[in-house]
Amino acid sequence: MRHSDVSVRDEPSDGEVVRAVLAGDVDRYEVLVRRYRERYARYAAHLLGSTAAAEDALQDALVQAYERLSQCRDPDNFAGWFFLILRNGCFGERRRLARVGPPLDAVAAAVPAPGDAGAGAERHELRQALFMALQTLTPEQREVFVLRHVEELSYEEIAARTGQTVGALKMRMHRGYDRLRGLLRDHWG
Amino acid sequence: MTDRLDPLVMRVLDGDLPLEALSPALRAEAEAARRVFGAPDRAPMALSPDFDARVMAAVRARALRRPGAARRAVAWLVAPREVRVVVRPWMAGVLAAAAALVLLFARPETPATGGVAVRFVLHAPEARSVALAGTFNHWDSGATPLVRSEGGLWAATLVLPAGEHEYAFVVDGERWVPDPAAPGVDDGFGRRNSVLTLSDAGRSM
Repeated sequence: MRHSDVSVRDEPSDGEVVRAVLAGDVDRYEVLVRRYRERYARYAAHLLGSTAAAEDALQDALVQAYERLSQCRDPDNFAGWFFLILRNGCFGERRRLARVGPPLDAVAAAVPAPGDAGAGAERHELRQALFMALQTLTPEQREVFVLRHVEELSYEEIAARTGQTVGALKMRMHRGYDRLRGLLRDHWG
Repeated sequence: MTDRLDPLVMRVLDGDLPLEALSPALRAEAEAARRVFGAPDRAPMALSPDFDARVMAAVRARALRRPGAARRAVAWLVAPREVRVVVRPWMAGVLAAAAALVLLFARPETPATGGVAVRFVLHAPEARSVALAGTFNHWDSGATPLVRSEGGLWAATLVLPAGEHEYAFVVDGERWVPDPAAPGVDDGFGRRNSVLTLSDAGRSM
């Protein structure tokens, strides 16, 4: 499900909620928190390699977005604007982790996979191996992979979100593919 | 097996080439790649049960530190009574097609609930329309049109509360032009917003 079609009839649009919050109804901000927390937590978890770090990054980004809400030029595109705040936070956290070492739960391949019980041990193993392999990509390669294969966005949609060209994104993705193939050769056949 | 994917397989993964266009060997390679790269978990991540409460507690704490919306609204309605003019240095030539001046009018003793009259002027002789969008009008590019006068000057006067305001001019409804005479700040989308900081005395800080 894409952010643009999250709004169900009878639910307020992002723009309506943003304008209400800016008018002083602070509690309405929780509508946006609930609307986007899980899907963006998944993005952050894949980018940071840790659910705990993802939750912290998401909380920081949501609070920062509230503080800067009056700078959101297009309230109906709150999701796209918020994504950039979270993205900047995640990249900053990656730079910090590069200095101090990975978070503890990264070793446990911590993104939960509730569907794995019926999917078989082999699929679970592949999923875990892929998650770990993703952590060896550059943050930029990993982001493209996550947006393409986890969020299932097209290159054009990723370009619109990140401000990169489609050609640059593909080149980055191809390098990531090559790297992943080398790391996951045991799962290839 | 090398660790590099065949360029044709890459094109299939990119959606630029149908799987059927590949030879049987490359097709098997592409199918394996789709299986492996398609394996990540797409289920929403479970967050701590108190996540919403923590975020909203932090948000409400910050809301308490902000000036209230009502106070801001009052500030908008209060016009200054006596004027003193401060003209920003105009950095000519920063923009070839457009240049701006911001003129500030205010009493030095303007109370906190008062306002500072700010005249925004943009020199844009080729423009068909010019508007002002900023934090003071929720970036509504239709809320504050500038009026054209002789010499290609567009102008509007607003009464703004003390504090920091980000803004940009919107030319012809689509081109966002920062004020060349004001400091700028990244807007998070790779563009620049201009920043105007007003004290209660109407000074640009």
